[in-house]
Amino acid sequence: MAKRSKMSSGDVELDMTPMIDIVFQLITFFLLVNNFEQTEADERVKLPKDSLAKPPEVKVKHEMTLNVGYLRDMDGARTNPSAFLFNFADKDMLQPLSKDTEAGLAREARIYKQQGTEPKDVTIRIRSDGDVPTGEVQQLIKLCQDQGYEKFAISARQAVE
Amino acid sequence: MARKRPEGAGKVKMDMTPMIDIVFQLITFFVFTLKVIEPEGDFNINMPAGGAGASTETVMPDIKVKLRANPDGTLGALFLGQRNLGNSDDSFKQLNIEILKLIGTPGNELAKDMQVEIDADYTLHFRYVISAVGACSGRLDKRSNKVVKYIEKIKFTPPKPPAAAS
Repeated sequence: MAKRSKMSSGDVELDMTPMIDIVFQLITFFLLVNNFEQTEADERVKLPKDSLAKPPEVKVKHEMTLNVGYLRDMDGARTNPSAFLFNFADKDMLQPLSKDTEAGLAREARIYKQQGTEPKDVTIRIRSDGDVPTGEVQQLIKLCQDQGYEKFAISARQAVE
Repeated sequence: MARKRPEGAGKVKMDMTPMIDIVFQLITFFVFTLKVIEPEGDFNINMPAGGAGASTETVMPDIKVKLRANPDGTLGALFLGQRNLGNSDDSFKQLNIEILKLIGTPGNELAKDMQVEIDADYTLHFRYVISAVGACSGRLDKRSNKVVKYIEKIKFTPPKPPAAAS
């Protein structure tokens, strides 16, 4: 007849080591996946897709991002017919072709010059919603050119075929 | 008199509960700060300070691509020079093929001097311009998943705002 061990008062001892292992695995995963870099990409801009849109291999040294898009509801329908420049010149929404935008671009150009960088060496990255009229984007480029910016890049989402 | 330690009692019991608490706090922090961003790419465009009329360094004449808009901003017609390529998604594929014919082989020295000038209507949705830029820039080689570059120099004509309604 097998001996029965003494019954304790009901306490069950759990070995926590495997749980700690799994939790450390999760932390390692999140540490590697998370990107703490402050991207200037505004989520409200619905970029057009293109299969050639691949992240650049070499990061540009001086870059300023302009996010042009529409205010949309949860279904994606526009709630305002006008395009806005998001998160620029300390304002969340600006008319892209307004005096405030000009002033903001001029201010940024002055700041770059104070830091020893010429505006012509700064790349203006335009993240524009696919529905924005092309002419408005072109006029925004012209406003930037008036402040001395010469390098431009237009952004697109990577299309997965 | 100090108590004698019992023999064989070298083990120290550690309570792991605070460590698990802290680790769960860390996980919660990472879960809330995780931001999933779709990969994006950039197309460089050539816009010298003098505008479209400024002299560029290209020896070859510009390849002119025109995009005409419908009243609702959708693509009305895509032209390569004088040739109308239509207004469907296949039009951009056709543009890609025609650009390849113009440059000969990708990466040749002549292609580096070529420039595409995009003339798009003011009201045209910007997505079509992106498609045109992509079609002129190259293609994605599906086997190696690398970009085969066609023409790298792309510029826009000055914007032509629609005439104000009288």
